[in-house]
Amino acid sequence: MTESKTIDVSHLPPYSISNQAPLWWGQLLLAAIEGMMFLILIAAYLYVRLRMDVWPPPGDQFPNRVLPTLALIPLLLSCIGSYWASEAAKKDDRAGMIKGMLLNLVLATVFFVMRLLEWYSLNFSYKADAFGTYVWTFLAVHSYDYVGDMLFTLVLLAIAILGRHGPKMRLGVHVDSVVWYFLVGIWIPLYVVVYWGPKILETQQ
Amino acid sequence: MIQTQDVLPNVPNQEEDISDLERTWRRGRGLFGWLSVTTHQAIGMRYIVTAFIMLCAGGIEALLMRVQLAKPNNTFLNPDLYNQIFTTHGTTMMFLFAVPMMEGMAIYLIPLMCGTRNVAFPRLNAFGYWMFLGGVLFLYWGVFTGAAPDMGWFAYPPLSGPQYTPGKRTDVWAQMITFTEFSALCVATEIIVTILKMRTPGMTLNRIPLYVWSLLIQSFMVIFAMPAVVVASSYLLSDRTIATHFVNPSEGGDPLLYQHVFWFFGHPEVYIIFIPALGFVSAIVSANARHEVFGYPAMVLSQIANGFIAFGLWVHHMFATGLPQIGEAFFTASSMMIAITSGVQIFCWIATLWTGRPRLTTALYFVYGFIAIFVLGGMTGVMLASVPLDLQVHDTYFVIAHFHYVLIGGAVFPLFGAFYHWFPKMTGRLMSEKLGRWNFWVLFIGFNLTFFPMHILGLKGMPRRVYTYPPEVGWDFISQLATLGAFIIAIGGIMFVANVFMSRKSGAVAGNNPWDADSLEWAASSPPAEYNFEYLPVATTRTPMWVPREERAFVTGLRTDRREVLVTTLMDAEPHHRYVLPGSSIWPFIAAVAVSIGFVGSVFNPWYVISGSILAFVALVGWFWPKYPPELKGEA
Repeated sequence: MTESKTIDVSHLPPYSISNQAPLWWGQLLLAAIEGMMFLILIAAYLYVRLRMDVWPPPGDQFPNRVLPTLALIPLLLSCIGSYWASEAAKKDDRAGMIKGMLLNLVLATVFFVMRLLEWYSLNFSYKADAFGTYVWTFLAVHSYDYVGDMLFTLVLLAIAILGRHGPKMRLGVHVDSVVWYFLVGIWIPLYVVVYWGPKILETQQ
Repeated sequence: MIQTQDVLPNVPNQEEDISDLERTWRRGRGLFGWLSVTTHQAIGMRYIVTAFIMLCAGGIEALLMRVQLAKPNNTFLNPDLYNQIFTTHGTTMMFLFAVPMMEGMAIYLIPLMCGTRNVAFPRLNAFGYWMFLGGVLFLYWGVFTGAAPDMGWFAYPPLSGPQYTPGKRTDVWAQMITFTEFSALCVATEIIVTILKMRTPGMTLNRIPLYVWSLLIQSFMVIFAMPAVVVASSYLLSDRTIATHFVNPSEGGDPLLYQHVFWFFGHPEVYIIFIPALGFVSAIVSANARHEVFGYPAMVLSQIANGFIAFGLWVHHMFATGLPQIGEAFFTASSMMIAITSGVQIFCWIATLWTGRPRLTTALYFVYGFIAIFVLGGMTGVMLASVPLDLQVHDTYFVIAHFHYVLIGGAVFPLFGAFYHWFPKMTGRLMSEKLGRWNFWVLFIGFNLTFFPMHILGLKGMPRRVYTYPPEVGWDFISQLATLGAFIIAIGGIMFVANVFMSRKSGAVAGNNPWDADSLEWAASSPPAEYNFEYLPVATTRTPMWVPREERAFVTGLRTDRREVLVTTLMDAEPHHRYVLPGSSIWPFIAAVAVSIGFVGSVFNPWYVISGSILAFVALVGWFWPKYPPELKGEA
């Protein structure tokens, strides 16, 4: 360490919109918590599969795989909006933040509508059997987090439009993008489990 | 509250800085102010006091059970009440005492030890406490209205399922779990970020106090273990309330899966309680041996290894479920492996005491008590790890004896040592050492008298969770010994409480560093100011308080007119940027009330999940809404 008796920190920046910010780390840990929860649910799904002779259980149809696969396109593209907004937040570019968040929200909505259409067409409910319970749980829990983050993005957008965006709010936009990448990233394994799982793990006669 | 030792000759305007800090960090007045507090000392103390009340509640439940078991065919408690009491006892001690108590101590101590002003997320911290309090109130609401859980603290289905436990008892238990896991996850997040990003300059990873290491490891364990119990308790609740089939065997669900998921959390949970206690022991040993803990890298690495191995042990709770032998062999091996990493630490402490100049304070007595009891508990742990023996004594009093030896010996004795050690820091006064010695010996004798006979009871075949037994089996004398011991423990507890109250009023004034200890919390005044330090102390060695006064360094240049702290880099703790922490706020309380409405309501009607979420969302918007449009604008 320094030899002098004091370390003057007054020249340091009063905030940082980067991965050095405590909030960024807090959000990373939140993603770890949720990721762990999904991992346990996936492990439980596979465990249940091992214990059942017929998969998917009699009467439950394979979910349609076309629409969910197409839906990945707007989902992945929505990250561009998040990235745009978070880069704009770093530069204190209000217009960029607004455009980025708008793009993110529009594409996120497109994905969600596609998900709901497919969900609606499932021929089994969560009450049917363990298989139904897990498929519905994956969809419901991910949707809950997904809609929650969309709403928070909407609030950030409102703050930006109202012109009340200080450094804390801009850090919020940056961190919000981290949450979004997580929600998009975690959907890939969940998508495989929900839509391809029944096919891959199908009982071979 | 000027600390003469910290006043630096060459820093101008010190008086002004201090009065600014006093004003910036002042707590609000009245009920509104009390509900809005976000400082870590206040919240930590609330956790500690609430968890201590829960310890007393769990203790009273234990005494009731011991009275019932003191003679054969006793009718003091009926079977249903006995079931409720043993379940509430276990649940209270694990979820409402042990974990929150360790969290409360951490919230109080970690920012001080890291040399910063508050935890990284003060409002989240307040929210976590209110959630914990919600869990306490919910469970005890159940206790006093006859809806206390009665299926054992791990709530195995199918017993806990809708078929065999109708009514609301299991639901109350499951949602109480949700409350406390929320709280634990909030604390773990803020503790990790505080440790990783807010350590004072100079406190590189290699200089973090061992207590801080233990909390870092424990918090990561919370992050990876608690989601499992989220899943487990949601399994139960949704199977019971909305007819899902997670653990319902008739539709492809699996009760054994619940055990896997629960113990994937449940075993690490034991270490979540126990690893912070190891941190207490390290701090007490180094302060009282007046010597740095021997083998710092070995201590840190074995604690990290403990953290990892803890996730590979869960199946040893399920040896009686008929798992494949190869699996059992694996978990036997990993269960025995934990003895190695625990042993390394015990030897390091002994070496520290051996090479140092130990001063026999009450805190150190409790550490000695810990070593004796914990080693015995560890021995029975190695015995239980072997499948044949485990099958013999499964679900008997031998298991009860084992886990009380490891949990009380491993966590509660160090905790009492920690109370004696840090009481002067928290209150400004020393506890009576004389009463402390009595306190220690009464607890030590009472503990061994209560739980040692239970090993024998178990070997004689007494199963756990029976409300009474016939006279022919010959368990009465040993049971009476245990009951006598339980009352001696209660006397020890009363002595402790008496010591707290007497010392708070008239104990000797402590000064900043009564034990001449090595870590940075002792640089703050006793009790610490709301802002902890006028100037953040720099860590120039692993034992910064043992550096001669004239060689110590301090951080200047943080703004005092707002709650500014210093963010440093993860590995080397180099100053990176300044960061403004939020001040007092009522929103965490409002958010906690909103979430509680959702949790409690969902026991009665699942739609409350939705309405609770909407309320919580509104509260969170209020929480994050920027106060002033130009907040900090133009500062960059």
